[in-house]
Amino acid sequence: MTDADRGGTGAGVVDPTRASRGRRIRFVVAAALSIALVLLIGIAVGRLSSPNPVTPGTESVEAGFSRDMQVHHEQAVRMAMIVRDRTDDPATRSMAYDMALTQSQQAGQMFAWLELWGVPQAPSEPTMTWMSRPTLDGSYGDHEHTPSGGAGGSATPVATHEPGGPMPGLATDEQLAALEAASGVEAERMFLTLMIAHHRGGVEMADAVLARSENRQVRVFATGMVQSQESEIDAMEDMLAERE
Amino acid sequence: MANGNNDKPSVKQQRDARRQEKVAALKKQQERAKRNRLIGIVTGSVAGLAVIGIVVAFVVTSGQPRENPRDIVVEGAQTFSDLTANHVTGPVDYAQTPPAGGDHNQIWLNCGVYTEPVPNENAVHDLEHGAVWFTYDPAQVSEAEIEELRDFAPSTYAVVSPYEGLDSPMYVSAWGAQLPFANVTDDEEAVSDFVTKYWKSGDAPEPGAPCTGGVDGAGKIA
Repeated sequence: MTDADRGGTGAGVVDPTRASRGRRIRFVVAAALSIALVLLIGIAVGRLSSPNPVTPGTESVEAGFSRDMQVHHEQAVRMAMIVRDRTDDPATRSMAYDMALTQSQQAGQMFAWLELWGVPQAPSEPTMTWMSRPTLDGSYGDHEHTPSGGAGGSATPVATHEPGGPMPGLATDEQLAALEAASGVEAERMFLTLMIAHHRGGVEMADAVLARSENRQVRVFATGMVQSQESEIDAMEDMLAERE
Repeated sequence: MANGNNDKPSVKQQRDARRQEKVAALKKQQERAKRNRLIGIVTGSVAGLAVIGIVVAFVVTSGQPRENPRDIVVEGAQTFSDLTANHVTGPVDYAQTPPAGGDHNQIWLNCGVYTEPVPNENAVHDLEHGAVWFTYDPAQVSEAEIEELRDFAPSTYAVVSPYEGLDSPMYVSAWGAQLPFANVTDDEEAVSDFVTKYWKSGDAPEPGAPCTGGVDGAGKIA
């Protein structure tokens, strides 16, 4: 009987000090895990909900835009500088001056983004690939799914593009050579025609990045670009009409 | 005695009662342990799943792994520091062949593809502006290799031109760096790395300065 009694107590309470130590260890482990989990959730919520959750990588839409738009802007600067040498017309020359310096400064902004993001200026994939990527709402972007320009003639609100294809609105080498060879009103007309197309292409690219990026810097930049280039298109159309 | 026996529980009864109490306590304790274990398993699983979910969310939103161009090591490339960058009017005796930076003419060469050798002093000015300069020794390369090189070169901020008397069939140079190579097929990795690291590099003295609107050399075809 005494044996059975002892056995009973043994099974029930064992040895009180050991049991309480076990409980304490379990409590400490549970507390540590809880704290770690809460911290992890806090970091995750903070990072995943911040406006710029991730620094754009080398194959991001933002980096692709920043590279291709630099090339696009560089050509605009070149055309503006050419026409300044080819005409004495103050209106054309001051407009060209404005465009060259604006776009040169903007190209520098995009250059600096790539530097700050720690990605190369050189693309690792064909130009314009970013414009074939899906849009934020997922509705568009894969060029295999684009409306085939069919009978609907759907006003495509969001541009898409073949990877490696030419950038919209870019002038050809021949057009640039012709501009360099022209002078006076002929050069002005040529410049205005080329630059209207160039701006339209630029707006298309800016709209394309707005449809695909949540990056705040890039969105502010692209929004401003769309506004200023659209108003410049209007101004250039008026100037062109005056010269026809 | 009999009364006593009736009023007070017998020793056996007392023992039974005690045993029952103990059994009940033991059962209760076992149930509690079981419940605790269940709570432990459930919280443990939930926490585990949460951790997995968070890790997945981080991976999904973290984009591609990045490699800063400055960390790229180009196999076989040489670098040169302490280059001067003065504008000079006459010819310059460059330390490297082809040149990879140094004093230069104040007018830069228009970037593009050339079939004739271009003046060093103008081309070095392009390197200062962040361009890369591909040169090939016509005596050591085939037409097909030249064509491949022209296709490979970036469409802006790059010069492609012949250069006689090189000690390697081809070279690509940037400001302060240069890589000898055979052709762009056999050495694609190194040449690509070089372009990734140095094309329009922020380490050039004047990145983003123009590579057009300067002077054309002879034989410019693109």
